[in-house]
Amino acid sequence: MKILTQNPLALSGFIIIVSVLFIAIFAPWLSPYDPNYIDIHSILLPPSASHFMGTDGLGRDVFSRMLYGSRISLLVGIVAVGIATVIGTFLGAVAGFYRGYIDSIIMRFVDIMLSIPTFFLILAVIAFLTPSIWNIMIVIGLTSWMGVTRLVRAEFLSLRNREYILAAEAMGASDYRLISKHLLPNSLTPIIVTSVLGIASAVLTESGLSFLGLGVQAPQSSWGNILTDGKEYIQFAWWLSLFPGLAILITVLGYNLLGEGLRDLLDPKNKNQQK
Amino acid sequence: MLNYLIKRLLWMIPMLIGISLISFFIMHLAPGDITASESAFNPKASEESRQKLRALYNLDKPLVTQYSLWLKRIVKLDFGNSFASHQRPVLWETKDDKGNITKGMIQDALPITLMINLIGLLIIFVLSIFLGVVSAVNQNRWPDRLITIIVFIGFAVPGFWLALLLMYWTGVTHSWLPISGLHSVGYEKMGLMAQYLDLIKHLILPVFVSSLGGLASISLYVRNGMLDVLQQEFITTARAKGLTENKVVYGHALRNTLLPLITIVGLSIPGLIGGSVIGESIFAISGMGKLFFDAVLMRDFPVVMGILTIGSVLTLFGNLIADIGYAWADPRIRRGITN
Repeated sequence: MKILTQNPLALSGFIIIVSVLFIAIFAPWLSPYDPNYIDIHSILLPPSASHFMGTDGLGRDVFSRMLYGSRISLLVGIVAVGIATVIGTFLGAVAGFYRGYIDSIIMRFVDIMLSIPTFFLILAVIAFLTPSIWNIMIVIGLTSWMGVTRLVRAEFLSLRNREYILAAEAMGASDYRLISKHLLPNSLTPIIVTSVLGIASAVLTESGLSFLGLGVQAPQSSWGNILTDGKEYIQFAWWLSLFPGLAILITVLGYNLLGEGLRDLLDPKNKNQQK
Repeated sequence: MLNYLIKRLLWMIPMLIGISLISFFIMHLAPGDITASESAFNPKASEESRQKLRALYNLDKPLVTQYSLWLKRIVKLDFGNSFASHQRPVLWETKDDKGNITKGMIQDALPITLMINLIGLLIIFVLSIFLGVVSAVNQNRWPDRLITIIVFIGFAVPGFWLALLLMYWTGVTHSWLPISGLHSVGYEKMGLMAQYLDLIKHLILPVFVSSLGGLASISLYVRNGMLDVLQQEFITTARAKGLTENKVVYGHALRNTLLPLITIVGLSIPGLIGGSVIGESIFAISGMGKLFFDAVLMRDFPVVMGILTIGSVLTLFGNLIADIGYAWADPRIRRGITN
């Protein structure tokens, strides 16, 4: 916490993320209506005191749907990045620790994955597997681990021949112990920074997929699919398009600010290490 | 340099095989037999035509045979024909017995996407170098803060949302700009100048939306790169020998910052191609992104696999050109290679 207050970027990002977390957890208590309740008497009402963000084409309360939508973006972001971080860290650790031909096989695979347009890959897999929130999280995770792999490998390569690692090795530490007790903890900060930034892009990808109709399926609400509905009514119901986009923007901004802020904060230390 | 080139080209062979494996694997992710899913969208397909399809794609043979047969066709750049009713060739035009030419789907779509992205890249380059340099030279003063705020918002804006709002605002409310497609009705009858103007008008929104993310990330990159370079000793030397600040910033610092940009642009190609899906769908532009999206929805496997493969190959070549460009532009590497 003390570090965060030193950096206004990181602090504002942190506040945004904590607010989104709060909204997502307490959505059932915060939302004035049932997000899926269809009320044909109040279709496309503009924002007012009883409906803060108006109602949609089926008379559902947009504010409540937005609150529930925050759960989706949070869940997708965290699970997808969790998967990517685990895969990326594992492969990067193996490549950086064992080097040699294992390293070159893994890194060639990374190069191949990096050269396939990611969004195409995600679209193809999702469409063939039938869209659902779980498939989306898994597919985003499986297609975004390459950056972490490169990062962890580079960290490991630079740490591998440090004296404390060589000392631990000489004292008979197993490979597993060397990796998990000595190398990984010392590579943690860049992994955290990349993960936070990765959540931002996962949230954007999910909203894009939902917008295309291949993401979270109705009646479950996500910011992306509220926006898709809004597209149909953009001429007479601006609130349906404005609010979900703003919510995505603010959330993504929050993760980016936090990530870049953390990077700035941890940067001087990194530079000293390199020297 | 020649050795490096040969080595770099040889490396592409295993990469290409890997890419083809992944594209092939994706197609077989689909549950069931592809002829079944294909016929689900075309209930009239008879058992006989399904058999034909199965034979055509060798679905009755083991997976390894299927892959090697597919690979043999791919090497000859034969990506087959679309499953859609028009049955157009996926990649390139073909001539039938009567000499009628049917144009390939990728042949039609690729130039459009390339045009939008190349114009976008040009704008990204010019603007982000300007923004990054202004930001770095004024570090922590108001221009830097303002640009940083804009950059962060540019990063976070969902492109499709911005596209929708802009389309509504400039196109529907004010009728300043056309909202879809690349040409107005009656384009063929216009004079050459009017045609260009019409195309430019149609391109403004899609290009703007597609370049926003890149603009943000490359500005930030140029800013941080400039800040790093400006602290190095050769800059102090340049200042000490009395060069003007302009010469130091543009002649020395910027040139060193721009080098790695070549690599960054190479790496951003798959993102640009992939990002074209949403933009092209919103603006109804028939480029690679829209073609791919439509093919995915219709389970048009030959088109999906063709675009996945071609898109990846393009990326590989983009990276190759970037690497060669880098080696050519950086005298340190150039020397290292010739030695």
